[in-house]
Amino acid sequence: MSLLEVENLHTHFVKRDLRNQVRVARALNGVSFRVDRGEIVGLVGESGAGKSLTASSIMGLLGKSARIVQGSIRFQDQELVGMTAEQLDAVRGSEITMIVQSPITSLDPLSRVGDQLIRVQREHHAVAREEARRRAIEMLMTVKIPDPERRMRAWPHELSGGMAQRILIAMALINAPKLLIADEPTTGLDVTVQAQVLDLLNDLVRSRDMAAIIITHDLGIVANYCTRVAVMFSGAIVETGPTREVFARPRHPYTQALLDSVPERAKRRGGGQLSGAPPNLYALPTGCLYNYRCSKATETCRGVPPLIDVGPDHRALCHHASA
Amino acid sequence: MTTAFVQTRQPRGLVLAWAMLVGLTRRSPTFVLGTAIVLVFAALAALAPWLTDYRPTQTFPDHVLSGPSAQFWFGTDGNGMDVFSRVIHGSQYAFGIAIPALLLMMVIGVPAGLIAGYRGGAIDDLLLRTFDVLRAFPTIVLALAVVAATGQSIVIVVLVIGFLEAPIFARIVRSEVLALRSSELVEAAVAVGNSTWRVMLVHVLPNSIRGATAQMAIRMAWAIRVSTTLAFIGVGIQAPAPEWGVMIRQGAEYINSGEWWIATFPGVALVGLVLGLNLFGDGAQDLLDPKHSDSR
Amino acid sequence: MTVLQFVARRLALTIPLLLGIIFITFMLIRIGGQDAVGMLTSPLASKQEVDAIRASLGLDRPLLEQFAIYIGNVLQGDLGNSWQSKQPVLGEILRRLPASIELLFLSIILGAAIGIPIGLRAAMRPNGLFDQVSRFVSLIGFSVPTYWMALMALFVFYLGLRWTPPPMGRISIAAFPPKPVTGSYFLDSLFAGDWSAASSAGHYLILPVAVFSLIVAAPIIKQTRAIAIEILNSDYVRLARLYGFRPQTIRRLTLRNAFTPIATYIGSELATLLAAVSLVELVFSWGGLGQWGLNAILFGDFAAVQGYVLTLAIFATTIYLLVDVAVLVLEPRSAISK
Repeated sequence: MSLLEVENLHTHFVKRDLRNQVRVARALNGVSFRVDRGEIVGLVGESGAGKSLTASSIMGLLGKSARIVQGSIRFQDQELVGMTAEQLDAVRGSEITMIVQSPITSLDPLSRVGDQLIRVQREHHAVAREEARRRAIEMLMTVKIPDPERRMRAWPHELSGGMAQRILIAMALINAPKLLIADEPTTGLDVTVQAQVLDLLNDLVRSRDMAAIIITHDLGIVANYCTRVAVMFSGAIVETGPTREVFARPRHPYTQALLDSVPERAKRRGGGQLSGAPPNLYALPTGCLYNYRCSKATETCRGVPPLIDVGPDHRALCHHASA
Repeated sequence: MTTAFVQTRQPRGLVLAWAMLVGLTRRSPTFVLGTAIVLVFAALAALAPWLTDYRPTQTFPDHVLSGPSAQFWFGTDGNGMDVFSRVIHGSQYAFGIAIPALLLMMVIGVPAGLIAGYRGGAIDDLLLRTFDVLRAFPTIVLALAVVAATGQSIVIVVLVIGFLEAPIFARIVRSEVLALRSSELVEAAVAVGNSTWRVMLVHVLPNSIRGATAQMAIRMAWAIRVSTTLAFIGVGIQAPAPEWGVMIRQGAEYINSGEWWIATFPGVALVGLVLGLNLFGDGAQDLLDPKHSDSR
Repeated sequence: MTVLQFVARRLALTIPLLLGIIFITFMLIRIGGQDAVGMLTSPLASKQEVDAIRASLGLDRPLLEQFAIYIGNVLQGDLGNSWQSKQPVLGEILRRLPASIELLFLSIILGAAIGIPIGLRAAMRPNGLFDQVSRFVSLIGFSVPTYWMALMALFVFYLGLRWTPPPMGRISIAAFPPKPVTGSYFLDSLFAGDWSAASSAGHYLILPVAVFSLIVAAPIIKQTRAIAIEILNSDYVRLARLYGFRPQTIRRLTLRNAFTPIATYIGSELATLLAAVSLVELVFSWGGLGQWGLNAILFGDFAAVQGYVLTLAIFATTIYLLVDVAVLVLEPRSAISK
């Protein structure tokens, strides 16, 4: 049994335009993947592919116009789709937790760091303030913040980006969650700080018997930290498998193009920029969603593509994957 | 997400117009209601002579202070003038002050804002300081003092309102310009060799005016409020002009003796038009600003 | 930066601002104004007599010199004499200011008590039914002229229902005004233990305060809503939701963060409201600063007008300063931003 199983998830945005016509943007079109205990899964793809929306769908925090129209999200064999806000509140922040890309603005500007670490515990468990405080200091040490006693009294605006991200990680992990979703956790941080934060995350996930999803468009991060990778395009996972396997033998044309766009590879192989506009979510192409950009597209690609096993635990959503 | 929506059957003509009206009402009921109210008042102003049986300053000595009746729908005032006719004609004063005042604000404010935003420097500083002074101070008192001191004509009222509100307009345009200046559109226009002035007139001006649309309505509402307030206090436009503020002032004397209609009806009209303009402005702001219309 | 340094720097910026406002009004009134001397002298006065009066008032000197003299006098606490009452303007202002402040502050407290909860509630579901209705109501508040609303309220509640006393001042003519301490008849009567006077003053307060608080509430609703929506869409509230915080915790978080911007907004509106309250005073014959100022403007009472404008300007700048100092002290963030 996997920790998290997302199956055939469809999330749409429903809006009315100025002519009072209902317009539906099909943002997620059958996302399926799983996350097992102890592994870090990388979710990659161009912006607009639906990576963050997948995370929001899992967390049950969608905007007013977005809704899950089909599919299931099972966490520890519990169905999350259809849960009430209160039921979800018991899961969010305690069982599943998330770190976001803007750490400084994500902290309450009017509370000291320590109070926020204490608050996040007491929201979920009946913990005495002193006990919560002790745990908070411990957690700050775990995320390698020097002089934690003093940091407890710091205001968010006094923190550097890297420091704030560590605090956020501390907040995310303090309730001992099972699953951590990190949405672009290192954008906006210095390269050296990026590596420190990711190493820390990596160590913590492995030492605490957790699992993590890292959402990123940086294939380098995936290569270094993720055991498995899921490549998203146009609201669907087009290829998934062990990171090494997928990076060595990409079978979906989009994955190939994505990998070829990485600067070092591009130089070596003579590949180039990832070209083409993201699809129009209001009027998706029929059949394979990638067919309008695919160099290998044939007449068959007008049909719905099958999910083909192309290696051990390695699958691609492409008519031509087996060839 | 960016490409246009392809639809199989496009509605046409009246059906389309109706669909758009329904859609617009759904998006911003305030905008639609506001537009409707303003249009009604515009029609009243344009058709005033045909809508009323009596001239607004015609006196009926036998009917002084008579209440609403079939002959005088809104009653008569202390001079024996028909309140209904005066209220309807009052909308001419409202537009007659608000439109020139708005034009004046724009004639002064828009170029000032354009230059300040595009060039920055001393002009920008001057504009911001002027704005600071005006912001720190209730402008209505300045308007009052100046109009009272300089004479009681409608021209003065328009000039004073226009000048006092121009910096606000300038600031709105300025911030629009600042936002646009760094945009790709303007950068591209400069890159292909357009002159600064051309870029300002062709690209920045229309965009910034579009951004200031909502403010136009709100400023007009403000102009009407200020001019009627001045008239109520007794400076600016004077009796027997059929101006709403003047009429409320006249009616105020009779409120305590029970002749309520003299002050009530012009007030209702005044609230109606100002509300219409504010609704329009509020709705336009929502429609033009994608940040507000789709609050996640 | 310490609070003292901040205050000193702000004061240095405030003085030119004040001078600017005084200068503008001074020049506009003197250049465009009616000939004040004409009002003081008999129409039959000879030219020599008029000139003599003009000279005695210093009106024959160049405008800039007159301005310099005026500023010099103001610095010594002499705002000149009212041409109507022949009294020193400063005394008249100080005597009337408490009446206006009483009306203003009570209305703001009540207006905030009405406006803030409505604005917060509207922000909970933007474009929902409550939001649409409250927005419409607040726009009506924006659009109704203060004086007209006061007149209508008088007609209904005094003339019609007889619930409130007549619009004639701040206390019944049958009651003795209390010994002035705060300047508020109501509070002063309470301090003096004069219940009947307190009751009378209270009754006279009800209608003007009710009217003005509704006028005040309208922009407060709008601002509170905007501030709260911004906070509800902020990264930190989103994170609180991601971490499964209970709705009441999120409400508390929002309230705390909304407090300073709302207070700042109300503070920044005080000067405009002090001017606007004059219209309520006019209708209710309140006898405060505003009514006196409007009267001075109507009759071209130059020193009084100038004194009124100066009072408003000083009030405005003082309030801005106080608001900024309060923010500096209360807000942890401002320590670096200022």
